[in-house]
Amino acid sequence: MKEDRFEALMRDAARTYRKPPEPDLDGMWSEIERETWAGVATTQPARIAARRFTTRASGWLAAATLVIGIGLGRASTTMHRNVPAAPQTAASVASVAPVRSDTAFDAPYNVETSQYLGQTAALLIALPAEARSGNADEKFVGRAAELLTRTRLLLDSPAANDTHMRALLEDLELVLAQVVRLQGEHDRTDLDLINRALEQRDVIPRLRTAVADISAN
Amino acid sequence: MQQVTRPAVALQTDHRVSEPELIARVLSGDRIAARELYDAHSPRVFRLAFRLTGDADLAREFTQDTFVRAFSQLSRFRGDSALSTWLHRVTVTVVANAMRKVRRFRERETPLEDVHPFNGSDAGVDPVLRDRLHRAIDALPEIYRTTVIMHDIEGYTHTEIAQVLGVAEGTCKSRLSQARAQLRAALSDLAPGELES
Repeated sequence: MKEDRFEALMRDAARTYRKPPEPDLDGMWSEIERETWAGVATTQPARIAARRFTTRASGWLAAATLVIGIGLGRASTTMHRNVPAAPQTAASVASVAPVRSDTAFDAPYNVETSQYLGQTAALLIALPAEARSGNADEKFVGRAAELLTRTRLLLDSPAANDTHMRALLEDLELVLAQVVRLQGEHDRTDLDLINRALEQRDVIPRLRTAVADISAN
Repeated sequence: MQQVTRPAVALQTDHRVSEPELIARVLSGDRIAARELYDAHSPRVFRLAFRLTGDADLAREFTQDTFVRAFSQLSRFRGDSALSTWLHRVTVTVVANAMRKVRRFRERETPLEDVHPFNGSDAGVDPVLRDRLHRAIDALPEIYRTTVIMHDIEGYTHTEIAQVLGVAEGTCKSRLSQARAQLRAALSDLAPGELES
């Protein structure tokens, strides 16, 4: 009887919870056609995908350059020593970002957060190249998994008391979880969804800002 | 650009073709075939998007987004699972990605009372209990809510949900069990002693 009542409630919910309206199929199709085949009489969707991916890759390169530039700039002003003229690779961000003034080292969470942000930036910047070359391998995904664990620990730490930092960590948690799912076989859709998540949430610019803020401390 | 309408599809397709054949046609640039695939799958994609968002405009946007992505990525569909499973996986991911941002706005701007307008017939269920259940579903953690919506509300099997969400079937069952326990707990003060299992 008890279970019966609950089941009855759930059956009722199937009818009443967010009851879907009739969809405007033709209206939605118009938008889909416009976005998918606009301006091209007969276009192979695969070519559209390739074009979009290329565009995004260009965006990635620009974002990567910005992050690396900020990281190197901050490092040069706070380290009080010369940073080797390293080639502009993603890995250089990971090595530069954790470096801050002595004051910052008083706060252990700042240290951890700074290191984490630098390493996460490096991984996300490297992602498109890794994916294009089919090298989103076990090591790469393993690094994402490790960063995902640290994200969750930071979310439960005082480092997440700051609302902006918490929002950034939550978004990074989602993106890293998606990267972890790339292990094994994956298709372009997975990568596309990760790119979209990064774009929609402005993750790279926010990472850049966070790295700069902590470095400035 | 001339739009492909449902009547156009009906006129130009004189027999039912298999889904793999339709997919091959879409990949060769056949928009009639694309429309046919869309007609076959969009109602359920829209339903799922609406149940997950509770907002017709968002459901429409996410449905469009799902199909734009699906058509642009169709060459990557390997056929390991049903096309519907693949599409629903894209839908759930698109919705999950977008809704976090949407929720941040709503938490600040939308009174909870506005979320659940239901004007259907009563069917003998206490409206207070119904409303409480709806809110309890809303309040579930995302992984539980998605599972409850897909299984109990939309009628997906555990196998289907597991494929869509990319988790083990046992994980899916466990999530549903946990979710239902939380729903019972949320209703317990309205039906004391009745709903504990």
